[in-house]
Amino acid sequence: MISIDQVSKHKGRARILHEVSFEARPGRVTGFLGPNGAGKTSTLRVLLGLDRPRSGTALIDGRPYAAWNRPLTVAGALLDGSGAHRARTARAHLRWVAASNGLPRTRVEEVLDLVGLTADAGKRAGKFSLGMSRRLGLATALLGDPPVLVLDEPVNGLDPAGIRWMRTFLRDSADQGRTVLLSSHLMGELAEIADDVVIIDRGRVVARGTLDEVTGGHPTLEDAFLALTAAGQPW
Amino acid sequence: MSAVRAELRKLLGLPTAWVGLLLGLLAAPALVILNAGATRRAIADGIVSDVSDLGLQNLGIGVLGAMILGVVTVSSEYTATGEDSPGARQLTTTLTAVPRRTRLLAAKAAALSLVVAVQGTLTAIATLALTRQMHGTAVPSPEPVRVVAAVLYWTMIGLLAYAITLIARNGIITLTLLIVNSAVVSFSYLLTKVTPLAAYLPDIVGAHMFLRGIDVPVRITPVTAGVVMTAWVAGLLAVAGYLFHRRDA
Repeated sequence: MISIDQVSKHKGRARILHEVSFEARPGRVTGFLGPNGAGKTSTLRVLLGLDRPRSGTALIDGRPYAAWNRPLTVAGALLDGSGAHRARTARAHLRWVAASNGLPRTRVEEVLDLVGLTADAGKRAGKFSLGMSRRLGLATALLGDPPVLVLDEPVNGLDPAGIRWMRTFLRDSADQGRTVLLSSHLMGELAEIADDVVIIDRGRVVARGTLDEVTGGHPTLEDAFLALTAAGQPW
Repeated sequence: MSAVRAELRKLLGLPTAWVGLLLGLLAAPALVILNAGATRRAIADGIVSDVSDLGLQNLGIGVLGAMILGVVTVSSEYTATGEDSPGARQLTTTLTAVPRRTRLLAAKAAALSLVVAVQGTLTAIATLALTRQMHGTAVPSPEPVRVVAAVLYWTMIGLLAYAITLIARNGIITLTLLIVNSAVVSFSYLLTKVTPLAAYLPDIVGAHMFLRGIDVPVRITPVTAGVVMTAWVAGLLAVAGYLFHRRDA
C-alpha cells in the first residue's frame, strides 16, 4: 500500500509538486500518468526518500521508505537506467545490493534468470543495451521479493517482446497481491494494464480513480488525458 | 554490518580503486629504491636533520593511493551509468538499498578506513624493511608508535579525500586538487612562507604526526598534530554529512 498525502516540493523558486495526494493499493496496477516534466519522477523520488519534499508525507505500508529496515524487502524500485556502475558486471552489481540488505547470493541468480540476463551476467553494465539496462534495473528491484513495486517509465527502451513481457509480469505481480505503481507518458500502454489511474499535470493531480472513472465520458484514456492536461494544447 | 560489507564489496569491485590500491602499495617502496643513492649522500654530508625520518619520509608519495581510494568511494556513486540515461547514477541504487543517510556514510567511511589502513600498514612495513635492506643501520628504524601514527595519518588522508569529494560531488576536481597539492606544488607549504598558521593545514600538520624534521616556522608535537588532524577530518566529515542530508540525491 502506497499513500501519498499533500506532497509539495520546490526546486529553486519553482513549485514542481503541489499538494500531490493519491494511493496505490495492493492487488492493483496503478498507472501514474502525465506529460514529460509534470512531476511523475519527482513524486516517485520523494516516495523513495531520494528527494525531500517541502511538506506532506509519502508512506509505504504506513511508514516512510527510509524508516524500514532492509527496505528492499518492502519495496522494489526501477528508476532511470540500470543503477549500476558501468565498470561493474551485472552479477557483481546485484551481489553488493543483495549484501546490503542481507539477502542470499542464490537470490541474485534467481532474479538474473527471472529477467533473462543469466547469459550476460558477466558483462559490464556499461556495455549493456538500453533494454538490458532496464532488465538489470528490474532485477535489482526484485532482489528482496518486495510486496510493493515502484517503476518509472518501465517500458522505455524495451523492444515489443520486452514490453509484452513487462506487461504480463506486472499484471501477474498485482494478481499475486502486490502493489504496483508505474509512471508513464504512454497512454495506450497504461490503458492496457492499469486498474487505477492517477493523472498529474504541472505538479498537480488532475484526476484519479479507476481506469473507467478517469476515462469517464471520453472515448479513450488518451482523450481523457488530453482533455485534462496542458498536453491538449501543444502550442 | 551488512551495509559495511556491501560497501567493501563495492569499493573493491572498482577498477579505479585497484589503481589507488596498487599505486599506494608500490609507490613508496619504489621511491626508497630510486632515492637510495641520494639518501646515502645526504646522510654522508650530514644534511638530514633527523635520520630516523628517512624510512617514513618516502611513505608520503603512497598517500596518493589513499586519496584515490577516498575519492573513488564517492565519485563512483555520481558517475553516469551510461549514455542512454545521463542523469542515472549508482547513488540511486545505493540510497534505495540503504536509505538512512548517516548509516550509509558511516558504512562507507568504515569500509574505506579498513581498506586504507590495511594498505597503509602493508606499505609502511614494506617501506621500512626495504630501507633497512638498502641502508642498514645508517637509518635507524623509527619507534613502532611513529609507524602507527603514519598509518593513522594515511587513513585520515583517505577520509579527508572522502569528505571533500562528498562536498564537491565531483571526483575529477577533487583528485586533481589533491594530487597537485601533494605531488606537484604544495600550496599549503607555500602558504607557510606567508603565515605560520598554514602549518596547521591538514596535509602539513598531519605529517608532524610521524615526521620530526619538517621545515616549518612553528613547532608542532605529534600529539598536537594528531588532534588538529582529527579535528580537520571530523569537521569536514560533519559538513559533508550535513550537505548529504540536505541535498536531493
